[in-house]
Amino acid sequence: MSSSIQKKSLLAKSYKFFPIIFLFISVLNELDFNNLGLKYFSFNFSYILIFYYSLKRSENFTYGLIFVAGLFNDVVIGIPMGVSSLVYLLLCGAAAYLRNITLRPNLMKDWFFFLITILTVNSIAFLILTFIFDYEIDIFSQIVNILFTFLFYLIFSFLFNFFERTLLGRT
Amino acid sequence: MESSRDDFVIAIRSAFLKKETKQRFSLLGLIFFSIIFLVLSNFNFKIIDYFKMGIKETVYRSSFIVSGPENFAKYSFSTIQNHFKIYEESKEDKLELEYLRTKNLSNEIITLENIKYKKLIDDYFIKDNETYAKVLIDKQSPFLRSIILNKGSKNNIKLGMVILEEDYLIGKVIEVNYFTSRALLISDINSKIPVSLQPGDIQAIMSGNGKKNGILQYIKNSNLTENEEDLLVLTSGAGGVFMSGIPIGVIKINEDTSEKGEKVVKFYKDFSQLKYVKIVSYLRERGALDMTSKDKLKEIDDEIEETNQEQEALRILLEQKKIADETRVKIIRENDYLKAKITKLENEMLIIKKTIQQDDIRKQEILFLELNLLYEKKCKKTFYNKLYVKGSEDYKNCILSKGVVKKN
Repeated sequence: MSSSIQKKSLLAKSYKFFPIIFLFISVLNELDFNNLGLKYFSFNFSYILIFYYSLKRSENFTYGLIFVAGLFNDVVIGIPMGVSSLVYLLLCGAAAYLRNITLRPNLMKDWFFFLITILTVNSIAFLILTFIFDYEIDIFSQIVNILFTFLFYLIFSFLFNFFERTLLGRT
Repeated sequence: MESSRDDFVIAIRSAFLKKETKQRFSLLGLIFFSIIFLVLSNFNFKIIDYFKMGIKETVYRSSFIVSGPENFAKYSFSTIQNHFKIYEESKEDKLELEYLRTKNLSNEIITLENIKYKKLIDDYFIKDNETYAKVLIDKQSPFLRSIILNKGSKNNIKLGMVILEEDYLIGKVIEVNYFTSRALLISDINSKIPVSLQPGDIQAIMSGNGKKNGILQYIKNSNLTENEEDLLVLTSGAGGVFMSGIPIGVIKINEDTSEKGEKVVKFYKDFSQLKYVKIVSYLRERGALDMTSKDKLKEIDDEIEETNQEQEALRILLEQKKIADETRVKIIRENDYLKAKITKLENEMLIIKKTIQQDDIRKQEILFLELNLLYEKKCKKTFYNKLYVKGSEDYKNCILSKGVVKKN
């Protein structure tokens, strides 16, 4: 009996690190939802993951690791080091702000706050890359990306909720 | 009003400044750190360069390992797909091979002539350094179309080296670390390559469209629709970064491939399938106009002459073979015709032989009848002689020998 409880708690502990592991895998993996090669479809999975877990389970989502994940992302996709870290941390900041001002969590409010946040952070990234580092970025593909990231937040929040409830037994 | 502003400030302060439980760093501190990182990376401090290089080496290797399962799945899928394609491709390849073999010699002559003329204008590049590298990461970033290679400054890789796959241009080296390097693909939006379009020798600048193709920019003669055949896109060599004449892609005239009014270049190579590439640097061959170069030119001339002769000999042989084939077909046809004629004649002869035989029999019968009239009495058996019974074989012999043969 006690061994099964021990096993369960060990499993629960390892599940806690799943989001951060998932973030690192999505950053390092060649398969990028941000660029699936489709003309009118792409979304930023990392944004959804970071925002959701910073908002709901910030205790397992350390800022230091997010900063490192951002650096890794910059290296892999070949943009100046620090841009993704800044964007990821701003997302965390926005999520923390929303958490502080919210008394009764509501998915719809989270969802629209997420839209405002990704519009802001993408604009910042766009400005940095275009005006400071002379990158040419297709605005239309960025808008498509923001739109789908916004839409997919709802789906992924259900999925993450399901994951939390079934595997970790959280409510 | 004032209290709501206070709430906002408190919430912001709490979110960004307050170090939360289980968080080792404050958010604002890390944001400042990333900004400092961004700013410092713009300056060429050696320590930062080494630090960046270290991170890059680690990330490239980790990314290669993490992407392992996905790459394996992709590779297996493409292998299965290729197996299905192979049969059809093989048939097409055979036809193409036949066609290309005939063109090969002409191409050789043109290449040699090209070398000769390039040497004359001092624009002939020779391969200086050639290395093969494995593609470690092929992350299709929306900002940068690039690949990470497993060769770096340790293997004499330098900035600006050309990346080829099967002699087709795919990019150039833009970042060199100790063990790894990054190559910018020509499909990247920031890649600008001076190209020439053949036939017509139209000069242009080609940029990537950020996806799979390239687009022509700064083209002098933008009306390419006058051309009836597809346009080949080659490096022009202008600017001296790339050697001239490296094949890049093709502009299909029959297909409507224009993108926002710009002509689209279809690359020969599919950049999503890169596994091994060739890293090459070129060196301009010097001394084209001195005495040694004259000897070299003479050598090339001789080579061209020799190849020309070979081609002429081959042409004659092919011509002879064609004639011999035609003659053979003609002879076979004649042979068939004669065979049929012989069979017909043999049949006719057989019929004639039969007729002759019948005639002979008839003649013999007539002769017998004639002799019978004359010598019947000498051979026919009666009451008073012991000759032959009429109608028997002996009687017949007796008549034919004019009654001379006697019965034993």
